[in-house]
Amino acid sequence: MATTPEKDGEKPKHRPVVRIGIFIIAHSLFVSVVCCTAGVLALLLLPVLAKKTYVSENALLPGSADPMVSDQDVSGANRFINELTSTGIEVPRLIALHMANLGGEYSYHKFQTQSNKFHPLHFFTSPNAEADHVNKSCGSYGTNTVGIIRAPRGDGKEAIVIVTPYNPVNLTQNEVLSLGIAYTAFSLLTQVSWLAKDIIRLAADSQYGQYNSVAAWLREYHTPSFDGFGKLHGGSCHGSNGVHESELDMVIETEVSDTFTRAGTMVAALVVKVANRDDEGEQDALNIYAEASNGQMPNLDLINVVSYTAVHGEDLGVQVEKLVSLLDSKWLKFIGEVFEKVGNIARRLNSQWKFGIPVKEYVEGSATLVSSLYHQALGVPTGSHGAFRDYQVDAITMEISLKLSSTDKGRQTEFLFRGGRLIEGVVRSVNNLLEKFHQSFFLYLLTSSNKFISVGVYMIAFLLLVAPLPVLAASLFSDANKSIPESENNSKLFKSWSWLYPTKTIFLIHLWGVIVSLLPYFIYQIPNSQPTSRLLIWASLSLFILTVLGSFFGPRSTQWALLKSVTVSTTFTGLCLMSVVNFATAEIGALLLVPMCLMSKPWRLAGKAHSALSLVLVVIGFPGAAFFVVKSAFGFQNGSSLVEFWYWMESLWAWNSATYIYICIVHLPCWVLCIYILLHPC
Amino acid sequence: MEKSLGQTTKKHPWFWSSAIASIVLRLVLIIYFPNTLNFSSRPEVSTPITSLRRLAEGYWLKRSSMSPYSGSMYHGSPLLLSILGPLIADRSEGQSHLLCGLAFVIADFITALLIRAIGQLLQVSDIHSFKSLGAGRHSKISENFPSGDIASLVYLWNPLTIITCLGYSTSPIENLMIVLSLYGACMRLVPLAAFAWVIASHLSLYPVILIIPLVLLIGSGLDTPPRKLFLQQTHGDGYKKTTNGSLNLISFSWRRAVLFFLWASAWAFYVLVLCGISLKDYSGLGEMFKRTYGFILSVEDLSPNIGVLWYFFAEVFDFFRDFFLIVFHINILFMVLPLAIRLHHRPCFLAFVYIAISSILKSYPSVGDSALYLGFLGLFVNALADMQFSFFLFSGYLGTLLLSPVMHNLWIWRGTGNANFYFATAMAYACFQIVLVVESVSSMLNHDRALKQGTTTNAKKEQ
Repeated sequence: MATTPEKDGEKPKHRPVVRIGIFIIAHSLFVSVVCCTAGVLALLLLPVLAKKTYVSENALLPGSADPMVSDQDVSGANRFINELTSTGIEVPRLIALHMANLGGEYSYHKFQTQSNKFHPLHFFTSPNAEADHVNKSCGSYGTNTVGIIRAPRGDGKEAIVIVTPYNPVNLTQNEVLSLGIAYTAFSLLTQVSWLAKDIIRLAADSQYGQYNSVAAWLREYHTPSFDGFGKLHGGSCHGSNGVHESELDMVIETEVSDTFTRAGTMVAALVVKVANRDDEGEQDALNIYAEASNGQMPNLDLINVVSYTAVHGEDLGVQVEKLVSLLDSKWLKFIGEVFEKVGNIARRLNSQWKFGIPVKEYVEGSATLVSSLYHQALGVPTGSHGAFRDYQVDAITMEISLKLSSTDKGRQTEFLFRGGRLIEGVVRSVNNLLEKFHQSFFLYLLTSSNKFISVGVYMIAFLLLVAPLPVLAASLFSDANKSIPESENNSKLFKSWSWLYPTKTIFLIHLWGVIVSLLPYFIYQIPNSQPTSRLLIWASLSLFILTVLGSFFGPRSTQWALLKSVTVSTTFTGLCLMSVVNFATAEIGALLLVPMCLMSKPWRLAGKAHSALSLVLVVIGFPGAAFFVVKSAFGFQNGSSLVEFWYWMESLWAWNSATYIYICIVHLPCWVLCIYILLHPC
Repeated sequence: MEKSLGQTTKKHPWFWSSAIASIVLRLVLIIYFPNTLNFSSRPEVSTPITSLRRLAEGYWLKRSSMSPYSGSMYHGSPLLLSILGPLIADRSEGQSHLLCGLAFVIADFITALLIRAIGQLLQVSDIHSFKSLGAGRHSKISENFPSGDIASLVYLWNPLTIITCLGYSTSPIENLMIVLSLYGACMRLVPLAAFAWVIASHLSLYPVILIIPLVLLIGSGLDTPPRKLFLQQTHGDGYKKTTNGSLNLISFSWRRAVLFFLWASAWAFYVLVLCGISLKDYSGLGEMFKRTYGFILSVEDLSPNIGVLWYFFAEVFDFFRDFFLIVFHINILFMVLPLAIRLHHRPCFLAFVYIAISSILKSYPSVGDSALYLGFLGLFVNALADMQFSFFLFSGYLGTLLLSPVMHNLWIWRGTGNANFYFATAMAYACFQIVLVVESVSSMLNHDRALKQGTTTNAKKEQ
């Protein structure tokens, strides 16, 4: 927006800002090429520019205290695990029983799964705004078990949450172990005197999805119902599940209060999971998953605390998810080597310049970065921690991977020790926190567990990439205004308002985009349809509406340059908007859209090579085509492609991802307009 | 803005169908999506002064025999309480302010019709002055757009107006009063102009500065090219009879101006008496002044809005506060006089500039104010045909207005941003508004210059 589209008037004198603008516009081609190349180069440089993480909040003091987990806690956890696997008592009841024995408060939370509903503007609404959507069907419902330790030194206004998802119907060994770890930590935390924040332990019933159970609990936690409406609703469903209910209540001697117990405001949440390790590592590892909905990340300090405690306290190797198929990529290795060489040369020139990283590090960093970008761009949370972010609670999933199978008793004890100590360390550190996490970054990308790229760095790459768009728009606009022949009396007078005609076309196309984004809602009403047929209905309906709207476009004689100028500036606005909502989507979208927008030109005016190139770019620019290209490039498994694409779109739709809105309202209209310009009869 | 395209055809049926369509759109949105489009909670739409939720609170307080101003919730006029209060009083759970919504739709419609009437008057006077300036401008006259139709459609279809109407803020009423006063002045209906001006100033204080364009309108008539041109014309050639007529029109009528002041003071007295009656059981006029005008002038509520003052006064030290309050408010007053001197021959345009400036520097601005001056901009479509940066301004307005809710969300709901994010969009918005004002004024002055050149060359040719 620094440059302004304006026409070069008759007056030779302009303000300096305007003169700079005119200079840039005059060299728009050069500026575009340089900026675009610099943008792509900066994106490739990001792993090199990553900085080491550091704990920014001084109060946290991770690893400052000795771990206090004792044999007693672990043997209790072992007994608990034995009971879980051997006795036939229902799992929620057993967990509650043990919580009661340890001296914590406990309660059940019964919830119903909510069917996927589409909230197009989910991003703009507060989480509470949709809390009143109540699903009336009583079919599927689960039971979360909640235990609370009241902090001896706190005022009960703040709380830390530990979540262990498990499936009560089919309990796996890993889930048992994660429950055991949580038991160990809970057992210790009931006894310690330093606790200043309440501890909430949530054993989340994940038979209907890990995310749903946590989300349902959070929704109820944050929206207290005073009028008894929620209670009534819960009561109406007890009939269908009465057997389950009564058994639950009978065995536990103390009365289970049906009230929903609460502690204070949540400051942080840890989701504890256990996984088997696939690859051969020499030690147990900790995988961190942090991406919440719409690419939101928890505060970097939380990840720092966890990884610091894991590495220095427990000697666990901390990993962030990376795209494995990229690790063998020759291209990346080549680029990495180039950067390394450049770095070496720079160091030889001046030993102060610490630039460049080893090839292996670069490749691993890039693989992590790509995976991080992909998950953020999807806008779908990578685990149940995503539910917390909607309530401004920082949360991560800690997935502890086992080296060996844990049938070995001694190994299991050691594992419980380590897991318990890890959670204790993190809780003890977060316990020191004043207010909430605010000191460190919220907007960052990870290239490894201890390296990050902050918003100030990655925004440069994005802005360089999109900078050609306003320059191009301005230069096209001024050219178009100059080239209006003097004979056309009518348009001569309103020269500076001539952009209104193409704006109408563009407005109609974006309206079409909005309609396309809402179509799936109606397609879902069609009973018994296959994904492929749904996709085809969607595509054909969209095309039909486009042709209907196309009849309103008016005369095609409007200048293509003006049309392109308005298209480009609309795309620029859309991309900038999206970069604030979800950076990763905007970056990937800009990589696809910017070359397409820059190259598109009516084929009658452009040369053959030019039109061929823009045709290729247009083909790749279509969201579906881009999806398949990316899938095959990164070697994801290639199933029935159309079905896969439908499911992909459906997941975006169901998770209320802003990416879906972006694709339909910014990307698709821009693509259609580029084709329109390409086919424009001049 | 796109809609002004269709108006090049100058067909009146087009206008009516388009206007009715916009009204139907509003009604559909109000009736079928009362809760999904939760515009009333947006800080861009409803300010502490205009929020209907606050008005409901004030009405509730009043009904339970308390002062409506107690508790710092309501800051509007007591008259508004009596007029709009009954409409929102007995609403059940399902329907939210339906009657009020209808009232606002009607207000919008009347405003648009008044703008259209003003536009037609302006056009007639334009043609008249062109004719009196000589035949050389005939090509220009033939290309005249129906500026009234364009302006009123721009007003009706402007997304900002629609959002304001759906957002249940009282700005449509304020806008109606401002437009009504200008209409009254254009028609030289002195009592009407005085009444609407008094009510508009009573509701939101800032329209007080409109007294200058109103008096100019009442005293010397509608927008004309600079007076010098007519004088040149009289010296240049022998067409005394036509130019004499126009000169008579231009001379300032002091009698009408004095009449306007008399009527205005009468209406002001009447309004104060009414307010006094409606508040007599509680606290009286003193509290009303303190809670309405005092609240506006001292910027007490620092909750974020699209203006620039909240951020500044949240940061400023308390002992500088009074000083900066004076500085910021005097900013508006500083611009009043120079603009009045430079643009005194175009009072309607002067009113547009005043409204735009006060909506930039207001203590609690909302998009409803922008909607009003953007509608007025359409009135001068013929004069501003060569305005620079129009596309840049359009993109800028669009971009900032879309970015503003996203930044607000990032700050308030997601917690990943901070106040600077939102304030950045507010600053960008203010910058675009300033560019709009500067460019429109400069292109209006250019237009006058072009007229001058046209007449001089004309005169030379004829000689």
